Amino acid sequence: MKSMDLYRESLAGIKNLIQAGESRSAFDELIRLLDPEVDFAVHHRMAKLFSTLPGNDLDLKPLRVAVVATSTMDHLLPVLRLYLAAAGFDVTLFNAEFNTLHQTVLDPGSELYAFGPEIIWLATHFRDSGLDTLPGATNAAIETAIAESVSRFRDLWQALRTHTSAIILQNNADTPTERIFGNFEGCILWGRANLLRRFNLELAQEARAHHVQLIDLDHLSAQFGRRAWHDAPYWHHSKHAFAPDASGLVARSVAGVIRACKGLSKKCLVLDLDNTLWGGVIGDDGLEGIQLGNGSAAGEAFLAWQHYLKGLNERGIILTVCSKNEEDNAKIPFQEHPEMVLKLTDIAVFVANWHNKADNIRAIAETLELGLDSFVFLDDNPAERELVRRNLPMVTVPELPNDPALYVGTLDLLGCFETTSFSSEDLARGQMYRENAARKLTSQHFTNLEDFLRDLRMVSVYGALNSLTRARASQLILKSNQFHLTTTRYAEKELEAMMNAPGYLCRYYRLEDRFGDNGLISVVILRHDQQTLLVDTWVMSCRVLARGMEEFIRNDMVKQAQVLGCTRLTGWYRPTKKNQLVARLYERLGFECLEECDGATFWQLVVDSTTSPSPVFIEAVEE
Amino acid sequence: MDNRRQEVMTRLNRVFQEVFDDDTLQIQDDTTSKDIEEWDSVEHIALVIATEKAFGIRLNAAEVGRLQNVGAMVDLLLARTV
Repeated sequence: MKSMDLYRESLAGIKNLIQAGESRSAFDELIRLLDPEVDFAVHHRMAKLFSTLPGNDLDLKPLRVAVVATSTMDHLLPVLRLYLAAAGFDVTLFNAEFNTLHQTVLDPGSELYAFGPEIIWLATHFRDSGLDTLPGATNAAIETAIAESVSRFRDLWQALRTHTSAIILQNNADTPTERIFGNFEGCILWGRANLLRRFNLELAQEARAHHVQLIDLDHLSAQFGRRAWHDAPYWHHSKHAFAPDASGLVARSVAGVIRACKGLSKKCLVLDLDNTLWGGVIGDDGLEGIQLGNGSAAGEAFLAWQHYLKGLNERGIILTVCSKNEEDNAKIPFQEHPEMVLKLTDIAVFVANWHNKADNIRAIAETLELGLDSFVFLDDNPAERELVRRNLPMVTVPELPNDPALYVGTLDLLGCFETTSFSSEDLARGQMYRENAARKLTSQHFTNLEDFLRDLRMVSVYGALNSLTRARASQLILKSNQFHLTTTRYAEKELEAMMNAPGYLCRYYRLEDRFGDNGLISVVILRHDQQTLLVDTWVMSCRVLARGMEEFIRNDMVKQAQVLGCTRLTGWYRPTKKNQLVARLYERLGFECLEECDGATFWQLVVDSTTSPSPVFIEAVEE
Repeated sequence: MDNRRQEVMTRLNRVFQEVFDDDTLQIQDDTTSKDIEEWDSVEHIALVIATEKAFGIRLNAAEVGRLQNVGAMVDLLLARTV
């Protein structure tokens, strides 16, 4: 369980934002930190910070929620309020007096009805079923006992329906861990565990029939860990029905169901491709090189992940793709990989280009005619996540763990696709949206890229290639397909020869940003011949594309030319199936095209002492 | 005050500051719920939970009932954390 030590600094930062009057930023930051796997002390503190925010700055919908509980809930309610705010609600809460479930519900004059709730949560737990081991009971006796128990809940719902039109949420029974009969309890229908299991099934059926939404407390207790969930000291000294540390999990779950009741669940997933749907980079590694399918741990993890996504798609969650790729390349695995679970027909909108993802997601939302607040964006690249968060704060952007095996659990725990019903329309939804999306994607660019780049706090360490960087440089030259201007392939030995040969300049570039070190991401080999400096090779990792590194490297090449007294910087673009990405790179960097030969183009930039650098937001550290 | 007591007091003070979200809060042996406006029954439970976590111990029902003032809490923590 994550505790205060991990959060002290972030929480202090939020407090500063609040004191500076920056409510919106403070709120966004709080929501971003929300994590049900965090302990109660942190949740308590976050809820307290949230309570000091002026609600009217946050654009939340008012909602009246009543909690009628048979255990202590006072500690949970501020946390629930926070999770409901994350779901878009400004909640006024009513907490019925402790353990007055029947009195409160059955009395038409009770404060509950005076409060005028839109949602009523009957927060019960296993003890309220009134069921306990019935040694040797016959099946008929068991059925009677369970039917009686369920009918007491039904009576409560009917009373509520008489006095209010509020939506009713009902907990089921969180089966305890201790077993009088040990394992034998699993095979006797009259043991407590099986009685409660059966009670839960009957309660579920009755709840559906009465349009009552179930909170699956039994599932939550298992998810948290049943033994820790049933915390005896807290039950005995303060009547907490579950461990305080489970507060985040419970609050998020209840908030998710309420959001679904209000029709505000997430509807659409935007998926990155490389290292998100499969391991590796399709543009560089090719169909055989990507990790997907049986045979490797990573490949199997991506397979399981795709099955989970397929399951979401089949229940009506819309899947879309937003990838920095050549579209043809990006589609190859969908069309040709034998173990690819997701097919192009599962994807409602497929966007593969080199524009920034915030703009692309806006375009996807427009195409589908869905609000951005119903979108979830999944990308392994923290910089892309940050760009989307910053520009589209209404889109849910979860952190993805490094290990693809953990993707399923991460998305599942987010619980953002709660629903209150399922119909045949859900089955057909994906196809419906795909058909509607036939309209051409618009790609406008109105996101403020400059602010984003500045905020990445990028630093490039760069310089002449040396024995320490040579191996990685050669690997990059051998492996890069997409950002590779001239298709050269130099093994380490050849590279070493060039490093020592007169007339050659071999340069490397690293890039760090506030998310971490991207490592050595680009290599340039320049050949010096009298007045000309020729770009023999230029490769770069696509991971750092369009962050100004291209301009940064151009500036360095210009500087090298100036130092050598060259009057021109020249370079070839030799097209391949995979390097269309850089076909117009030189043009973008201010070069002019001098000749064209079998599709290859030759470019020149006139250099003198006045050639000015292109603007970049990357701090330079030359080694 | 001996060193161990002082050390427990310092750690407990941090717990109080975090639970009540007040970095300036300074507790003493004779601090009680009357001295801290927010210290009601809900906050008391939050305090117990945070204290258990910070000191890595579990308190039993009788112990929780005895924690009316800071001095009593420190005594208990000293006895429980060897």
